[in-house]
Amino acid sequence: MKFVLDAEQRLFGETLNKLLAGAGTPGAVRAWAAGDPEPGRALWRSLAEAGVFALAVPEAAGGAGPLPVELVTAFHELGRHAVPGPLAETVAAAELLARLGDGAGLGSGHEDFEDRASGHEDSEDRASGHEDSEDRASGGGSSGDHGGELAAAWLPRIAEGAAVVSLALPPAVPYALDADAADLVLVVDGDELRAAVPGTVRTSLDPARRLFSVEAGTAPVSGPAVRAAAGAAFDLGALACAAQLAGVGRRLLEVTVEYAGTRRQFGRPIGGFQAVKHQLADVLVALEYARPLVHGAALAYGSPDFSRDVSAAKAAASDAAYAAARTALQVHGAIGYTDEYDPSLWIRKARALRSAWGSPAAHRARVLSRLTGDRESAE
Amino acid sequence: MNIVVCVKQVPDTATERKLRSDDKTLDRDAADGVVNELDEYAVEEALRLKEAHGGEVTVLTMGPDKASDTIRKALAMGADKAVHLVDDALHGSDALGTSHALAQTLKKIGFDLVVLGSESTDARTGVLAAMLAERLNVPQLTFANKVEVNGSAIAIQRVTDYGYDKVEASLPAVVSVVEKINEPRYPSFKGIMAAKKKPVEKLGVADAEIDAAQVGLASSWSEVTDFAAAPPRAAGTIVKDEGDGGAKAADFLASKKFI
Repeated sequence: MKFVLDAEQRLFGETLNKLLAGAGTPGAVRAWAAGDPEPGRALWRSLAEAGVFALAVPEAAGGAGPLPVELVTAFHELGRHAVPGPLAETVAAAELLARLGDGAGLGSGHEDFEDRASGHEDSEDRASGHEDSEDRASGGGSSGDHGGELAAAWLPRIAEGAAVVSLALPPAVPYALDADAADLVLVVDGDELRAAVPGTVRTSLDPARRLFSVEAGTAPVSGPAVRAAAGAAFDLGALACAAQLAGVGRRLLEVTVEYAGTRRQFGRPIGGFQAVKHQLADVLVALEYARPLVHGAALAYGSPDFSRDVSAAKAAASDAAYAAARTALQVHGAIGYTDEYDPSLWIRKARALRSAWGSPAAHRARVLSRLTGDRESAE
Repeated sequence: MNIVVCVKQVPDTATERKLRSDDKTLDRDAADGVVNELDEYAVEEALRLKEAHGGEVTVLTMGPDKASDTIRKALAMGADKAVHLVDDALHGSDALGTSHALAQTLKKIGFDLVVLGSESTDARTGVLAAMLAERLNVPQLTFANKVEVNGSAIAIQRVTDYGYDKVEASLPAVVSVVEKINEPRYPSFKGIMAAKKKPVEKLGVADAEIDAAQVGLASSWSEVTDFAAAPPRAAGTIVKDEGDGGAKAADFLASKKFI
């Protein structure tokens, strides 16, 4: 299989890169962190105009999707420019609503959410994960109508960039990101999907990620279909986050290589020293390993292997971006942890995104359980 | 209104640009090709005129096969179709040769208005709009930072050192634009996908009835006989001020005949 983007996908990525480079994105990130979402919302609107959010919204609901390969192409650029906001959350919410809008038709191999949730870092109750085959068999259940209304109301707005949606899928995604700046906050609790109101704000490793605990709202949709749709939403959110991480890592490598080429010590650029070169080369290798996993997972969308491939991609991209952040910090020296210096935006985002949408350990565990599960069923 | 916008693929200004050692022309394979920046403003202006007055926008480019990337970009921005003038015989054409080739093509495909960027970042002659207008025998309205079309009348603001001139003419005409004229749009995903299905007509020298004796490297009036990399800047002379700094500075200026 060939994991190479075609000319249109490359042009789309380049276009987003230029758009974001020319839009004063670091300023929008800082404003966002300071509680002023307006520059970030403006950025959000131009991204929607470019077609980013439509990629996750079905054509029938005013979108162009689902187009997972284009989505990871876009999210790579969003990460590369440290774009703030509940990006993966909005895309995951679109997937959730689209599936609820469809009613049934959830048999594309997405694991049930409880199983996924058991992969959460702090959770060791993998063995007790519920088996929900009967729920899945029952299809849409009672959720169809409400879910359809919700989907019809919000999907077109997501596609056109008019709606910023935050989403919590506890326990794997326990907090609603940037809930104060979102037009809709959704929480899935088991079989129930609730619109929620933001509670207290929590401190994140990345100040531009404002995490909110959520307070129970109404329960407009419930039933087994919610659980299945939440599983699909988790997978797409984790994939988007993986692509974002790859972009964050790429940017950190770019700025660090540039810095190592200009910063001089002992009479020559520090990039000329082998020990520095090796560190940077290791980051490049990690990023290059993560890339085909991200693209491969996008291609697996809709197949029974999607969940497994997303986890492999998320684990690899997290490791690569984190390595990029550590190396960037070290190679930059003291300037690296300076708040006013732009690389700090990416360094902190890499660490925060690493644990968002499932930690690397949780995703590795899910890959393992999928692989051993496959072997058991083959025997 | 039938608008033709001329775009050129140029080597990325952010990369090192080279000349070829064999025929001393620009080495187009040595650098990534990008749309000439000013041409993006031309495409944007053409699209805005179309949106205001109706009609269609045709992209015209002359260049090797890989210039199709540039066509795709312009189509993704919203142009309707494209003509790609591609022929080995065109390689090495100077501004006169290029203007002949483009004029012949424009005569063939027809136009009400031709829009160009005011210069390219590689050759930087800035004369193509004027040459085209002359060859096509239509008015030239160059260095426009504002274009208004009203029926068959066209008026522009022509940027000058002291402000701007108002220039009016009637269509058909040739307009060149400066970067202050607008803010080029970014192609959307929809636009990029739609561009795949838009027609691109490839024409050779014979198809466009171009006189082969007027184009190509051999017919160029200008010739590159030799070239060399710019020498690195020599280190400056450092004068230590020992009370006579003023006199030394004056001596230096005198030696350069400044005083």
